[in-house]
Amino acid sequence: MTVVTEVEAAPARHGLLRYAATKAGGALLSIAMVVVATFFLFRLLPGDPVRALAQGRNMTPEQLDLERARLGLDRSIPEQFLHFVGQTLRFDLGTSYEYKRPVLDLIGDRIWPTLLLTGTALVMAVSLGIWQGARAGWKPGSRFDKFSTAISLVLWSVPTFWLGLLLLMVFAAGVGPIPGVFPTRGIASVDAPDGFGYVLDVAQHMVLPCLTLVAVVYAQYLLVMRSSVLDEVGQDYITTARAKGLRDDDIRRRHAVPNALLPTVTLVFMRIGFVVGGAVTVEAIFSWPGLGQLFYEAIRVPDFTLMQGTFLLITVSVILMNTLADVIYHVLDPRVRSV
Amino acid sequence: MIKRWLAAVGVLCLVMAIPGTAFAADPARKTVRVGVTQAVDSMNPFLAVRLVSGSLQRWMYSFLTVPDSKTLQPSPDLAESWTTSPDGLTWTFKIRQAKWSDGQPITAADAAWTFNKMIDDDAAKTGNGPAVENFAGVTANGQELTIKLKAPQASMLDNPVPIMPKHVWEKVTDIAKYEANEYPAVGSGPYVAVEHKKDQFVRLAANKDYWRGAPKIDELQMIFYDNPATAIVGLKKGDIDLIGRLAPPDFESLKSDQNIVQWNTEGRRATYLQINHGATTSDDKPVGDGHPALKDPKVRQALHHAIDKQKLVDETQNGLARPSDGSIVPPMYKDFFWEATGAEKITYDAAKANQLLDEAGYQKGADGLRTMPDGSRKLQFRFSIHTDAPMEEKLAEYLTGWFKEIGIQLTTKRLDSSKFTEETGTTALFDIAISGWSVNPDPEEVLATHLCSRRPTASGEGGGTESFYCDPQYEELYKQQQKELDRGKRAEYIKQMEQRLYVDAPVIALYYPNNLEGYRKDRIAGITSIPEDKGMLYGGSGFWPFYTVTAVTASETAEDDGANTGLIVGVVAGALVLIGAAIFLVRRQRGAADERE
Repeated sequence: MTVVTEVEAAPARHGLLRYAATKAGGALLSIAMVVVATFFLFRLLPGDPVRALAQGRNMTPEQLDLERARLGLDRSIPEQFLHFVGQTLRFDLGTSYEYKRPVLDLIGDRIWPTLLLTGTALVMAVSLGIWQGARAGWKPGSRFDKFSTAISLVLWSVPTFWLGLLLLMVFAAGVGPIPGVFPTRGIASVDAPDGFGYVLDVAQHMVLPCLTLVAVVYAQYLLVMRSSVLDEVGQDYITTARAKGLRDDDIRRRHAVPNALLPTVTLVFMRIGFVVGGAVTVEAIFSWPGLGQLFYEAIRVPDFTLMQGTFLLITVSVILMNTLADVIYHVLDPRVRSV
Repeated sequence: MIKRWLAAVGVLCLVMAIPGTAFAADPARKTVRVGVTQAVDSMNPFLAVRLVSGSLQRWMYSFLTVPDSKTLQPSPDLAESWTTSPDGLTWTFKIRQAKWSDGQPITAADAAWTFNKMIDDDAAKTGNGPAVENFAGVTANGQELTIKLKAPQASMLDNPVPIMPKHVWEKVTDIAKYEANEYPAVGSGPYVAVEHKKDQFVRLAANKDYWRGAPKIDELQMIFYDNPATAIVGLKKGDIDLIGRLAPPDFESLKSDQNIVQWNTEGRRATYLQINHGATTSDDKPVGDGHPALKDPKVRQALHHAIDKQKLVDETQNGLARPSDGSIVPPMYKDFFWEATGAEKITYDAAKANQLLDEAGYQKGADGLRTMPDGSRKLQFRFSIHTDAPMEEKLAEYLTGWFKEIGIQLTTKRLDSSKFTEETGTTALFDIAISGWSVNPDPEEVLATHLCSRRPTASGEGGGTESFYCDPQYEELYKQQQKELDRGKRAEYIKQMEQRLYVDAPVIALYYPNNLEGYRKDRIAGITSIPEDKGMLYGGSGFWPFYTVTAVTASETAEDDGANTGLIVGVVAGALVLIGAAIFLVRRQRGAADERE
């Protein structure tokens, strides 16, 4: 038995490496295409950034020209493109028009709040979705199934902005007997203490945005998990496990769920890519200083360099995570490997 | 197992729910928190362009002159007094003996350095460039500052440039890259910025050595909200104490709250229609695709007659505005405000509008639409508004209805803001557009937006016109007011300019929106507006309200048990988490042992 495994393992590992290399190559190609597309895509947007910046302000034509030269907008499109590609290869994303600061700095400021919020929300949504989905799929048509599926779908359909504002009004401002205990904005209080107190303060600020995010997205994990557990229920190995006299809960947890997890894992990895992009709406409601908000503001100006930078970051992280998902899928599922 | 996990998460949530007051700072400290819905773009005044940054500068720095808190006329700030040469080209300011917040004396050299930096370094022009455009040279001698101008300029005493400390700022090598995030920031205003968390808040401590005397509170905070709806919740809850620049619906939602004062006063803004009356570029070549009928002043006048401004105020502004019988300067600036009276006044009168159009030869067809006198085109106009602007949508509906009654078809064209700016300010691809302008105590800037020179160049560069207007009479009056240093005489010229705009109608003023704010009276004990008689608080962008503000101390407010309760809840919750975790671990081990196959 052991001998066989070892013999098999060696080429498998070799195959995995080759597989991963192929995938990485594909990802690099995609990223290169994204870089090119990014540049031209944002130049198709209507509006002149310099004029937008000057809106409502007293600026002479000479000053506008000056500003245009400062931003490099007076050069031809091919020149601008070459400059952009050169910069990007050096990991320099340029300087924001609006903030007058390097885009990479701005992203650096904003990425941690976003990762914290969307990352926590993802973990919670996935846990909740998998747990409820597994139970619902195990006994389809049961009261639990109907109830949890219905609730998750209702929350999935609710507009994020509306839900966030509702939670804010009830749990931050307080309604009737419910005291408003949560803060209305931001990631930390103005006079937040240091050390552990700061951690608590941030945690407190995270509750409502996190709850909003989880509520509106967990349905997708629930539904995927539910349907894949449903597929496993009638399988022979489940019958065998039952025949062995195992407890129903154990059969579900130890036999059905691991087999049913694969589609959910893929979904989770695809979503991890989007974690970086943040959640524009939730960040806007709760004034969360994250990347989604930055991107949104960049579009409003329009702030080309900032838009390019954030857009590149978001797309590249999605591509990387998808590639990783492919590779992990390969490791997790022997069936993919043999193909 | 997951149940236990959930239990643990639940307990964690409890911990998080400890009221924020658990961390309340020194209760005797008097703090006022101002909510704003725009984040500071830069703490470097040479670079910052946002309105919110301008307000902040008013708190942190002094200026040559400031509007008087009662009359809004220019009054001494850092400049104690000033004289002007007979030709109006040389201004001499006497800088007062005062100290920077780091103890260094303020001299004329600081002011000269600030202006010269802007003149010499293009990067330093980003924030307030136009303010020094007319400066020929600036020199300092002790406390005496001399500014030589290229041409006379009556608005010299409304200079928006904060005077910066030379000894701190001359060390900056590249102004374009300098973020000025060093605290405490050296300034000469009533407050000193001590902390800035980007996109979250700015904390300012009272400047105890402020030359007018220390403010009556210890700390002023500016707290950023991404959207107004949340900020309103924040005010109702007490996370902030004051918020300005409210939209009518947000303002009205404060009505039910006993602790909140609704501050409703005359505003500094005018909302008007911009009419494409034959747009041209700065070399007088036609530009854009405006409807030819709008070149006819009679048609513009007929449109003016067809608008029920009171109805617009009631329906789009919830009654919180004043219908306009004047032009682009709102009534709060009493010295410069002009409005039509008697025969000149254009009233809502559809019959009169129809009559004007009939007389001018625009005949109605079978479909009820009028055509050009030569029969070439029907009177079908586009109305350009912004996307996602419910107030403008509503306005468009009313205008469409009224214009239909006079045989004119209006279709609404929605544009995102950068496209809107381009089409209504440069390419002139519009017939009628919504517009508005916030006016400073000195109205020169808004008057200048209707000058010939503000039209875009032939290549579509520059501009800043609000109307593509180019009228010899208006130009002449502008030059007159620019030279006139007597405030009363100058106001007469300015009123004539407003009258010209009213009669010729390149723009039709609709109403003056009120300045709407709200503050908590259980936190703010007193605050003086600018002007002091029913003026603005945050909306005025001045230092006066926040210099005079007095606060109710934290110990005087009801929530004084927060710290203790918080601590108890925290300890209990912590204990619960530990117990929960222990139970979870024990049961998990036992469970694993039991269930091994």
